[in-house]
Amino acid sequence: MGDNLGNLELAHVFYWLRDLLLATGLTEPWVTIVTYTALGAMMFGVLALLALFLVWWERKIGGHIQQRFGPMRTGWHGWYQTVMDALKLLQKEDVVVDKRDKFVFFWAPVVCFVAAFLAYVVMPFGNRLIVADLNIGILYIMAVTTFTVISLLMAGWGSNNKYALLGGLRSAAQVVSYEVPMVASILTVIVYAGSLSMVDIVEAQSGLFINWNIFRLPFGPIAFIVYIIAATAEANRTPFDIPEAEQELVAGFNIEYSGMKFAMFFLAEFVNMFTVSAIAVTLFFGGWNGVFLPSWLWFLLKTLGVVLLLMLFRWTYPRLRVDQLMEFAWKFLVPLAFANLILGSIMKYLGWYW
Amino acid sequence: MTKEELTNYISSTYGSQLKPLDTGRHDPLFEIEPKDLVSVCRALCDDEKVKFNFLCNISAVDTKEKFEVVYNLASLPNKLRLDLKFSMPYENAEIDSVQEVWSGANWHEREIWELYGINIRNHDNLTRFLLPDDWDQGFPMRKDWDAPDFIRMPEK
Amino acid sequence: MGKLKTEEFVVNMGPVHPATHGVCRLMLTMDGEKVVKIEPVIGYLHRAIEKICENRTYPQCIPLMDRFEYVTSMSTNQVFAQAAERLAGIEVPERAEYLRVIMLELNRIASHLIFYGVTAMDLGALTPFLYGLREREYIVDLFEMTCGQRLTYNYIRVGGVSRDIPPQFVPKCREALKIIGDKLRDYEGLLNENPIWLRRTRGIGHLPADLAISYGVSGPVLRASGVDYDIRRDDPYSIYDRFDWEVPVRHNGDCYDRYLLRLDEIKQSIKIIEQALDGLPEGDIKAKVSPNFKPPAGEVYSRVENSRGEMGVYIQSDGTNKPLRVKCRGGSYNQLQALPHFGTDVLVADLVAIFATLDIILPEVDR
Repeated sequence: MGDNLGNLELAHVFYWLRDLLLATGLTEPWVTIVTYTALGAMMFGVLALLALFLVWWERKIGGHIQQRFGPMRTGWHGWYQTVMDALKLLQKEDVVVDKRDKFVFFWAPVVCFVAAFLAYVVMPFGNRLIVADLNIGILYIMAVTTFTVISLLMAGWGSNNKYALLGGLRSAAQVVSYEVPMVASILTVIVYAGSLSMVDIVEAQSGLFINWNIFRLPFGPIAFIVYIIAATAEANRTPFDIPEAEQELVAGFNIEYSGMKFAMFFLAEFVNMFTVSAIAVTLFFGGWNGVFLPSWLWFLLKTLGVVLLLMLFRWTYPRLRVDQLMEFAWKFLVPLAFANLILGSIMKYLGWYW
Repeated sequence: MTKEELTNYISSTYGSQLKPLDTGRHDPLFEIEPKDLVSVCRALCDDEKVKFNFLCNISAVDTKEKFEVVYNLASLPNKLRLDLKFSMPYENAEIDSVQEVWSGANWHEREIWELYGINIRNHDNLTRFLLPDDWDQGFPMRKDWDAPDFIRMPEK
Repeated sequence: MGKLKTEEFVVNMGPVHPATHGVCRLMLTMDGEKVVKIEPVIGYLHRAIEKICENRTYPQCIPLMDRFEYVTSMSTNQVFAQAAERLAGIEVPERAEYLRVIMLELNRIASHLIFYGVTAMDLGALTPFLYGLREREYIVDLFEMTCGQRLTYNYIRVGGVSRDIPPQFVPKCREALKIIGDKLRDYEGLLNENPIWLRRTRGIGHLPADLAISYGVSGPVLRASGVDYDIRRDDPYSIYDRFDWEVPVRHNGDCYDRYLLRLDEIKQSIKIIEQALDGLPEGDIKAKVSPNFKPPAGEVYSRVENSRGEMGVYIQSDGTNKPLRVKCRGGSYNQLQALPHFGTDVLVADLVAIFATLDIILPEVDR
C-alpha cells in the first residue's frame, strides 16, 4: 500500500491529486507539499462545514426537546443560521481589555482552534480515508486533545480579569482530571486491539456488528460509559459546563472575548465534541464498518449518533457543582476505569474473550 | 381561643400597659405606650398561653396630626392575631427597636426610618434601603412632603 | 512552610444577573469559593406604590396592587379587596367567593410552575423551563378568557369579581387541570430522583424553623422547615374552610424539600379547584358597592396565603374615598431578610440554588 512515502495509507483523492500535479509538471518535493497542503485544506473545509452543521443541529434538537422549533427563518428550517451568526460575529467590534497580556490574549483562541483540528490527522473517516495512519495513532490523539488546556489557561490569564482566571483554572482542572479515566478506558480497548494504530483498531472490529468493541470486549459497555462521561467533561458540555454557564457567578475564561475570537472558541468547542464522538465510534462502535452504505457514510452516521447522545445530555440534566464534578472524577470514575482496565487485561491474558 | 377571649385575656393580663381600641375592624387592636414597647412585646412573645412569635408587619402612619406605628402580630402555634399601636407627635419621633424579640423587625424599622424619619434606637443597621444612596429630599411618606415633580391627583 | 495569607474579596452579584429573579443586588464577601457574608441591596424596583395609593380611590388602588406582585396578582387583588370589605363590612356573594377561590388557586399553580421552570434553569437543566411555561399557558388562557389579561388581572374587586366566567371556562378548566396533573408526574420523574439534582439541592441551604419564624418567613419556605402553618387553614378567609384539602409539610428545610413542597402544593390546589368547580353556585358576582366607595374610619390588616408566603395589606381609612395609609407586605421581603443568616458558608453555586428555591420576586420586596 505504501510507496516511497513510507507506510502511509493514503486516500484515493491524494493519488488523484498527485497525478494531476505531476501531469502539470511539478517536481517531487513540491508535489508532496502541495498535495498535503491541499488535503489539509480540504479536511479543514469539511470539518468547518461539519462544525457549522453541528451548531445548527444542536439548536434544532434543543428546540424540539423544549417543544419549540429552533431557528426557522434563515432558510428552510433555518439551515444557514450558523452562517449568518458567523457573519454577524465577524463584523462585530473586537473589544479588548486595555491591560491584557497582548501576546497571550491574541494567541489563546488560535491555539484552541488549531488544537481542535490536530486530532483529525489520524481519524479514519472511512476505508482507506485517513490522512496519516500513524502507528501511534490513538496515543497521538490523547496527547493532542490536551492542547486545549493550554488555550484555556492562556485565555484566563491573558484577560487580566480575576474571574476569567478563576474560570480558566477551573476548566483546566476539570479537563485534566477527566483525562485520566478517559485514557484508562481507551487503554482497555487498546489492550484488546493489540495496536495503537487507529486503522488496526477499526479493522479488528470488522465483520458483523456484534464484533464492535462495545459488545465484543468483556467490559466493553463499562469502558464505553466511562469514556462517554469523561468525554462530555472534556468537551465542557452539560452536566460539566460550569466553565461556560451563565447562571453561575463568573462567566468563565471567555468573558473578555468578543467577535471573531469568541467565534473561534465557540466553533472549537463543537469541533471538540465531534472529535470525542469520532474517537468513541472508532474505538467502540466499529469505525467505518458496515454493510451496503459507503464507509464514510457509516462513520458520519455513527458519529452523529454519539453527538446526538451528548446533545441529549445537555438538554436534560442539571449542572454539577465544581467540587462535585472533581469528586466524581477522582473518587468514582478513576477507580472504576482502572478496575475495568486491570480486569480486562487479566482476561485478555488468560484468553477469556472471543 | 376566639377573638373575644383573646381580648379579655390580654386586657386582664396586660391591662396596665395595653388599652383596647375600637378602630380595628377584624382583629383585636390595643394601644401601648412607646416606653413599654419592648417589654410588652417580649412578654407577648414568651407568654405560654398566646405566644405571639411571628411579626407580620410594622407600619408607620402619618395621620396629618401625629405619627402612629402599628405592629401586626401572629401566633403560629395558637393561630391568633393581634395588633398593637401607639402614637407620637411629629417632633423627635423615636422608638425602640424590637429586633431582639423578632429578628424580622430589622428591615421594617429600617424602612420606617428611611421613609418617615422616625428614629429607631438600638437598631444595628440604619442605612439607605429603598431610596437611592444619594437621596436628600426628605422623608417621602410624610403627608407634608413635597417635591418638584410630585403631582397630586386632582380632588374629586 | 509559613502560613499562606488569604484575603476575602467582595463580589457583586449584580442587579442584572441571570440567576437573581429580578433586579436584586447581592454583595457577597467571599473567601475563595465560599460565601462568607451576603448583603442584599434592594430598591431598584421601588415604585412608591404605597404613596401613590394614598392618592387614589379604593377601586383605583386595585390595578396598582396588581403591580405589587405581578406573578400572583390575583392574591394581591384579593388581599386588598378583602381588607376594604372588612373595613366596610361588605358581604361577598357566594358565587363570587367560589370564583375568587378558583382564580386564586389557578394563580398559585401558575406561579409554582414558573418556580419549577426557573429553578431548574438556574441549576442547569434548561428544558423544564419550557415545560413549566407550556403548562402555564393553559392557565393563562383561562385567565384571558375571563378577564382579558394574562398577567395583571384587576379581576377581584371590592365586593366581588369584575366579570362572570364564560360558559366554556368550566370544561376547559377541568381539561387543563387534568393535563397539568398528568404532566406533573413527568416533571417529578425528570428531576426528583436525578442524582445530579439531588446532589445540587439535598442538604443545601438548611433553614432552621426557629430562625424562619423569627424573621417572619412564611409560606412554602416555612412549611418546608417543618412548621405547619397555612393562613388558608389557620386564619381562614374567603371560603377555604369548606373544602377538603391538606397542607403539605416537610421537615428538612433544605432546597430539595422546598422544591418538593411546591410540587405538592400544586396537587392540593388542583384538588381545591375541582371541588370549587363542582360546587359553583349561581348568583351575583358582585355585592352592591357604591361607585364612590367610602368605608368608615378604621384600620384593618388582612392577609392571604400567597405562593410566596404571607401577603398582607394594612389599610387605615379616615372615612374618605381614599385610604389614609396602605402598607403592603410580601412574603419575599422576609425571606430576603433571612437569607444572609442561613445562606452563608456555602459555595456560590449553592447560593444560586438557595436563591432559586426561595422563589423571591423583587417587586414584593421593593414595592
